[in-house]
Amino acid sequence: MGKNPLHTKLCDLLGIDFPIIAFTHCKDVVAAVVNAGGFAVLGEAMHTPDGIAADIKWIRSRVGDKPFGIDLVLPASAPDASTLEQLLAKIPDEHKRYAAYIKEKYDVPDPKGQQALHQWGGLTHEIARKQLDVILDERVPVFVSGLGSPAFMLKAAHERGMKVFGLIGKARQAKREIEAGVDVIIAQGYDAAGHTGPIGTFSIVPEVVAIAGDTPVVAAGGVTTGRHLAASICLGAAGVWTGTLWLASRESDNDMIIKEKLIAATADDTVYSKSVSGFAMRVLKCPWTEEWAKPEAPRVLSSPYQMLLASDYIQAANDHRRADLMFEAAGQGVSFIDSMKPAKQIVNDMVEEALSVFEEITGEAADA
Amino acid sequence: MANDSLPSTMATVPGFDPARAGKSAECDGGGAIVGTRYAGREEFAGTLTGEYVDHGDPPWRWYLLKDLVRRPEGYPGDAVWCLAENLFVAGEPV
Repeated sequence: MGKNPLHTKLCDLLGIDFPIIAFTHCKDVVAAVVNAGGFAVLGEAMHTPDGIAADIKWIRSRVGDKPFGIDLVLPASAPDASTLEQLLAKIPDEHKRYAAYIKEKYDVPDPKGQQALHQWGGLTHEIARKQLDVILDERVPVFVSGLGSPAFMLKAAHERGMKVFGLIGKARQAKREIEAGVDVIIAQGYDAAGHTGPIGTFSIVPEVVAIAGDTPVVAAGGVTTGRHLAASICLGAAGVWTGTLWLASRESDNDMIIKEKLIAATADDTVYSKSVSGFAMRVLKCPWTEEWAKPEAPRVLSSPYQMLLASDYIQAANDHRRADLMFEAAGQGVSFIDSMKPAKQIVNDMVEEALSVFEEITGEAADA
Repeated sequence: MANDSLPSTMATVPGFDPARAGKSAECDGGGAIVGTRYAGREEFAGTLTGEYVDHGDPPWRWYLLKDLVRRPEGYPGDAVWCLAENLFVAGEPV
């Protein structure tokens, strides 16, 4: 086969060994993946600017000069500016009664403390901007915009020697961001965990590759194995963006109950539901999602009303560690997560499997 | 509950773009979801008023989209501010 098919332009751009990007909310996973030769991005959307600065310092102390990324959710449309009380008052009684019915049916206890939702108070333009200022001040090697276009801050980032990635769910948004000059575009398909676009990974990736020119495209959504990595390369991607893959890793700070649920789950145990937040998102099925899917359930509210309605259940499930109630965002690739492996082993297994797939296809081994 | 104000203590500069006023547009919107570590995508379509606001430096531009003909189910308002680069205006190249 000759040339190593896993040595892509993403590897050259970032100076990494393997074109595997881990997206995680856990700093330990970031350090482990980066030190294993991959690349990792820490999701910091709900962190304060000071918290982000502390996390960056912590990561640098563990990975040295190796590159890593920080992901923020730049808003793309403006959230409502009402107070929490105003928002709560607008939730219809029918919906409150249905939430109370679920609480009683499943014996959901009260949360132990004030709900985190209420403490945060919303994510405004101003907070997003302050978070971004920290990223720029710290000259984080890679900034990833998980939603809104980062075009307005590209010049400032590039002047600081940073690279900027954009994550998109539609080809037209990819075209906009590529033309604006993002360094990498992440094409995310419907298979992914959490809030995704409506287009499947197998369709969105080559569609974006076709318009990307020299900009590396990274495939996201359902990517969990070396076979997925090989397939993504064949689709024209220069690497993969993986999230669910790390949720049950040894280093992940997820609750052990969630890790066990993820290991036991198959793709059929995930559901694309609006019942958690009012936005359609892929999560593990739980009583809350199942009850809201029933024909007798009221129509799910929009965001942030449905999130306010769900917050009592979510907080109680986590506070009391009720395995029957807890859930997590998970992609359809969850079927392939079958043990709690160290992140380094996950990277190595993925690389080894991808190379053997290419060998299977070509009949030749790749150059190391 | 028309969502036509953008509360912020950041330096903001309002403006008006007559060339865009009255034009149909689509917004690939969304944002972070309070109380979670997730983001959500939301799609809107409506008519641009021409009003915009630049936030901070470098300027982060937002346009006001009103008379929404497409919005997430249950969305309570008839207006939304949209990030300029996530807005697709009829008659303008994508």
